[in-house]
Amino acid sequence: MDRSQIFEAVGRRLLAARNDDGGFGPGPAAPSEPEPTALAAIALDDDGARRWLIGRQRDDGSFGVVQGFVRDEGSTCLAAIAAGPGAVRERALDRLEDLEAEPVTPSEAVPLDGSIRGWPWVGGTAGWVEPTARSLLALRLYRPGSPRIADAVAYLRDRRCVGGGWNYGNQVVLDEVLPPFAHTTAAALLGLHGVDAALEWEGAARLRGLWRRERAGGLSVAFSLAVFRIRGERDQAAAATEALADVVARTDLLGDPVAAGWAAIATGPGVHELESP
Amino acid sequence: MTAAGPDRHGHVPRRGFLKAAGIGLALGTAGAAGLRLGGVASSSGGRWDPEAFLPPDRARVAVLRADGYGGDLEALLLEGLVEIEADVAGASVFLKPNLVEFDPSRPINTDARIVAATAIALRRLGAASVIVGEAPGHRRDLQYVAERAGLIDALAAVDVPFVDLNTEPVRRVRARSSYTPLGELWLPSSVVDADVVISMPKMKTHHWAGVTLSMKNCFGFLPGRIYGWPKNVLHWVGIEHSILDIAAAVRPDYAIVDGIVGMEGNGPISGAAVEAGLVVIGDDVVATDAIAATLMGVDPASIGYLGEAGRFLGQIDRDMIDDRGEEPERAVRPFAPAPLVPA
Repeated sequence: MDRSQIFEAVGRRLLAARNDDGGFGPGPAAPSEPEPTALAAIALDDDGARRWLIGRQRDDGSFGVVQGFVRDEGSTCLAAIAAGPGAVRERALDRLEDLEAEPVTPSEAVPLDGSIRGWPWVGGTAGWVEPTARSLLALRLYRPGSPRIADAVAYLRDRRCVGGGWNYGNQVVLDEVLPPFAHTTAAALLGLHGVDAALEWEGAARLRGLWRRERAGGLSVAFSLAVFRIRGERDQAAAATEALADVVARTDLLGDPVAAGWAAIATGPGVHELESP
Repeated sequence: MTAAGPDRHGHVPRRGFLKAAGIGLALGTAGAAGLRLGGVASSSGGRWDPEAFLPPDRARVAVLRADGYGGDLEALLLEGLVEIEADVAGASVFLKPNLVEFDPSRPINTDARIVAATAIALRRLGAASVIVGEAPGHRRDLQYVAERAGLIDALAAVDVPFVDLNTEPVRRVRARSSYTPLGELWLPSSVVDADVVISMPKMKTHHWAGVTLSMKNCFGFLPGRIYGWPKNVLHWVGIEHSILDIAAAVRPDYAIVDGIVGMEGNGPISGAAVEAGLVVIGDDVVATDAIAATLMGVDPASIGYLGEAGRFLGQIDRDMIDDRGEEPERAVRPFAPAPLVPA
């Protein structure tokens, strides 16, 4: 499969999984949720998904699943991108600018700069790499003058792994240097693109090795391909496309709509939505 | 499979238990953030629903020897499940291994071969269906971890489905204990719907919780798309408290601990391999974890959440745990402890 064939295959699969309400669920037979719906809207430029999403914006401008004590804050950034220009996007961006993770106390065991908060997955908890990178992505695209961009870059600089790249957000635990992952490194690079050249260069160099080691994972390869396309790394993109074709053909991404959404973004026109406005 | 009514522990069977724990039955106790375990167990009244937990009855635990993963694991698992009188005939079974990350040099995950062997043994005991699933805490790309850990191929070879618990519809389940302020949990439908749930951890030390066994393994029932990667909210409200509330809500029926090769030192990811050559199988997660801890040279009472769980969730009193295999005290292989990170 070439890139357009992958896009067609995963796009077809995504559309077949659309729920009656126009949104997309996180898995087969699951009710629609903001994250997979936002990804489908970006990947497929899908108005139905966009309509579903816009109708789910919370009063404070955020998107996500609130389940009792647990309030998902990780989907607002993707929804801001997917929503398109207008009041919904602006309110989502306002929310992202207001949102801050809780400070953490550094220790010898887990050395980090606890004053740099980043963005959390769940409200009222610590910041992590992927939600911070997603927030940076939305802000660099649509609020390039936001003062929070510097916060996000500082967070990613502080939490990057030794030698470059990112895992979920811990560099060292109990003197053990923790390795970076392809997926989270690529997520950080999507946020950092064009914002901090040195940090981006270092991370991209690490990603070129990481994704090949982690090519068994569809989500990791899809994220990496999106980064290589945005950065214009044609050789890496060609190799990642080949790897993604293999994973899709062999496993159908294990039926994960989020992986399928990222695969469709990485192989289709949706990737341009992540470059610059 | 018992069709209805309390089991031999006086517990309501899982299906009825989880359904009864459905929406709108908020537990009327205050949040417990700030309660410290780890040797300072709560001394006041129980933080659990007394109607859901009768005093723990006797437990059965089998300690079995295994030279490695290359032997007849299916026969070994079958022997262990028979020894503890596991009742799975006609049941839908959900098997939850421990998948965290992949590092070819470290025994981080429950070995794929023992998971597949368990599935076959369960079928031989008459299980109507077996599903394996997981929602790892660090890695969103479960496909990568499961493939590299060999689980996808191992399960395909025995025709057992694998589900990513991050992608499933979730159902709200009332917490039956209130060590955290969570109040309710969101569990994947395949876990809620299963007649029998088996927690299948790796025998490891853990730098936050002391040891990670079948109770701590319950973190992986919760989907990251709600709780995050990592599931930091569970740490935020207290790891040991979360272990208690999640294990009490899911309430696995059986536990099978993969201690053939375990991990000591800086677990659960960065520790060193220990060829302990043991498999621990029990009909009570607390008792199974207590015996597994003993095998690791760890006093179960020193693990705060385990001691607390012994008050309501399962059996920790050694005199109330029936040995159905090797005598645990004669099979101890001390694990180097984890350097504990202050919570």
